[in-house]
Parts: sequence; C-alpha cells; structure tokens
Amino acid sequence: MAAPFTRVCRPLWRIITTTTLNKGARNISSSRQQWSAQNVKTAVAASPWALHGAVCLQRLPVVSQDRSPIEEEFMELMHQMELERSLLSDHELRLLEDAARMSRKQEEDYDSDEEDEDYRDKEIVTAQDLEDTWEQKLKQFQPAPRSQGVDKKDMGSSELCLADSLILLVKKDVGSQKLWLLPQIQWQMGETLRQTAERALASLPGADLKATFLGNAPCGFYKYKYPKDIQKEDSVGAKVFFFKAVLSGHKHLPLEKNSFAWVKKDELQDFLKPEYLKQVRRFIMAL
Amino acid sequence: MAGIVCRTVNRIISSQASCSTSMVAVRHSHWFTSVLSLKTSMPLRAEPKKKKKVDPRREIMMKERLKKKLKRLEKVPPELIPIEDFITPAKCFDETRIRDAPKLSFEESERRALLLKEWSRYKYAQHQTEMDAIKEALEAQRQALDELKLESEELYKAAVSPDTDIFPFQHEGPSYTPPITNYEAPEGKYNNITRVYTQ
Repeated sequence: MAAPFTRVCRPLWRIITTTTLNKGARNISSSRQQWSAQNVKTAVAASPWALHGAVCLQRLPVVSQDRSPIEEEFMELMHQMELERSLLSDHELRLLEDAARMSRKQEEDYDSDEEDEDYRDKEIVTAQDLEDTWEQKLKQFQPAPRSQGVDKKDMGSSELCLADSLILLVKKDVGSQKLWLLPQIQWQMGETLRQTAERALASLPGADLKATFLGNAPCGFYKYKYPKDIQKEDSVGAKVFFFKAVLSGHKHLPLEKNSFAWVKKDELQDFLKPEYLKQVRRFIMAL
Repeated sequence: MAGIVCRTVNRIISSQASCSTSMVAVRHSHWFTSVLSLKTSMPLRAEPKKKKKVDPRREIMMKERLKKKLKRLEKVPPELIPIEDFITPAKCFDETRIRDAPKLSFEESERRALLLKEWSRYKYAQHQTEMDAIKEALEAQRQALDELKLESEELYKAAVSPDTDIFPFQHEGPSYTPPITNYEAPEGKYNNITRVYTQ
C-alpha cells in the first residue's frame, strides 16, 4: 500500500510547501497548483528546476566573406562569358572609333578634309582620356581596410572578425568554478522569460549594448543538475532557456578582456564546456 | 384669365357709364379689336403660351440621350502603361554593335564544362548544409518549447504569443569594406529622366 499512499500524499505535500515556503525558483501560480494536482508524475519531475533566462547576442558580419578558390574561378568564368555574349556599349564604340581615327591620322596620305564635319577642327577628348580621369578620381577615395588592424588576442573588441558573426560570452562564477557562459540570469516571478533575457543583457557590468530580440520564443535550452551536496528535494537543478538577439548599432566601447569575449562559432569549443556546447551549437547558425 | 376679363368688362361698363353721353363705341385698349366680343383677347389667342408639359419632358429626354452617348464614348478602356523593362531599346538591334565571338579552343571549352559541374556540386553541398543547420535550429527551438510547456503553461503561452515589435526589422547587410567612421558623403547632383505615365 506504500505506492498509492505516497501518490496520494505527494500532491498534498506539494501544495503545502508551495503555499508556505515561497521559493522564488519555482513557479507558484494557481493554474500550476491545479495542474500539479492532476499530473503528479510530471509535476514532481519538472517543478524542482530553477529557471534561468539567457541571451545569445550575435554581432552579424559587417564585411562580406572572402571567396573560396572555386568561387573565384567561377566568378572569372561568369565575367568572361558575359563579356563574350554582350553587345558593344557606347563607350566601347567610341574607343574603337578613336582608335580608327588615330590610325588614319598616322597614315601618310591623311587628308583631314575627309574626316567627318564634327571632328575636323576641335580638340577631341578621346574615350581613353576619360577612362584615365575616372581612374584618377577613384584613387582619391580611400576605403576603410577590410580587416581592421585589431589585435587578434583582444577578444573584448567587437571589431574583430568583420566577416563572421560573433557571439558574446561572459565569464561567470557557477558554484565554485569560473565558467564561460552565454549571459544568463535567474528568472523572477511575474516576468516572461524574454524579459529575463533582456534583464540578463542589461545587467552585464560596463556594457552598453543595444540589441533587438528576435521573437518571444526561446531558441534552445540547457538543463543541468546541481552537484549532489546542493541538491534538495525541491531544487534538483536548473533549466536555462536561450533567446536570440541581434546587436544593433555600430561602434561599441571595448569590453573587459577577462570577463567578456566575442567569439566565432568555431572558437566556441575553446571556451564552453562540452555538454553546454553541444546544446548551444544547435541554434547558432554561422553561415 | 376669367378674372382679368371680368375686371376689364367692369372697367368698360363703368367707363361706358361715365361717358354715357357719347354713344360712340370707344376702344379703351388696343387689345380689344371689337368691343362686343370681349371674351377673346390677343394674349389669350397667342400661340407661344401653349408650353405646358410636353416641352420640358422633351428637353429632359434630349439631355439623357446626350449623356448616354457621352458615356458610351467614355467607356473606352484606358491605355495600358508600358513597362519600360520589357521593351528592348532600338539600340540593341544595331548591327554594328555585335562583337566578334572568339573561337574557344578545345581545352578551354572542356575546362568550362568541368568547372560548371564542379560548381553545381559545390552549390548543392552548400545548400544541404544550410538546410541541415536550419532544421537543427528548428528542432532545438521545438524541444525548448516542449520543456517550457512542462515547466509552466503561463510562460509557454507568453513565449508562443506573436511579437508585434520586431517588424519592421531593419539591418544593414555586409558590404565589401567596413563603414568609415565620421564619413561625410559628397552631395551628388542628378537629373531624373524617368518617364511618368498617367492613366
């Protein structure tokens, strides 16, 4: 009779503990109480998890990626084929005419009266001259270099690899260890998880980052159990829900090197724990 | 009309009574051609007064007919606005503009064919990786939502509700070189020669 007795006993105990011990970690809403009374099994398994909201802040690429060798070859081929199949443009026709006229001038029996009326006496600006002037003008403009001369070791700067999308990582104390994580914060009662994620972003010390959150739904989750000595009946572990956000605005102050890092997807494995990494990699798309 | 006749008769009788000494029949008004026959006077006999109902109706009918004719003329469908992009300009049919097609060597044509096949394979592999990445991300999201549902219904409903603030979403895509800080682009002049059509 032990089994049915415990099954009857547990919901009562749960209701008592939820009303008396007001633990912030657990969700205490009236709907939850009814629900937990009905589905006992899942209530016991799900309720002892602490909820956290985390933000996966991405700085999207600023500069286009370099072409791979096959892409370079194909681009050359396409340019060639396009040139072969096209018609002559006005500028090209003009170039040809000028060339023909020059060659006629060089001949011995050149008679300037045979030329067209328009080109007889005027000083002509040849198309070649125009091309040269355009080249000169282009050289006057100095574009910014593609790879900013930022030291590769300085992970705190968001100007690192302009051609890739970077993720923000934060070094945090979890229990006794210092771990690199995506910025996360504990969920409080009365707010949605997205607001938790926004709070997590705002509460980063020294960072004035403006981000646009992409939607209300989380993009991934990670659950872990606390080590055995901290585990209690009502706090087995924690669930972290990740929300995607895109960094908006250009210049940002460089962040502290030791606690912040902007990392590419390939470099994530140097920073994150394997289990955590496995879950996080699923929703980060570095295309 | 009868009233006017009566009044004129009275006047005549009174006038006749006043100048009863002269027995000559005096015409007091040029409208009375004969004194005895008073009942028909010129205004009564004149034709133009017979306008009544027929003419206004005829006028209205005429106006309606004209309006119908106008409507029929106006029913012509409006001229379609030509799409400039679909009309090849006359310049392209100029024969002097045709390039001499270069003769490709056998090796060159072989190289091109092989490169095209290589490219299709590369693009297919790229597409497959993209699709797999998208599927993986969707799966991760689905599982996250399932877990959230297990946790609490409220939070799940909040997560699944549509977000009205994202759109319109704007983001500057990647360019070839990064933007120069504090750059002032020079003002450019241009003449807009697009043709505007009205229907």
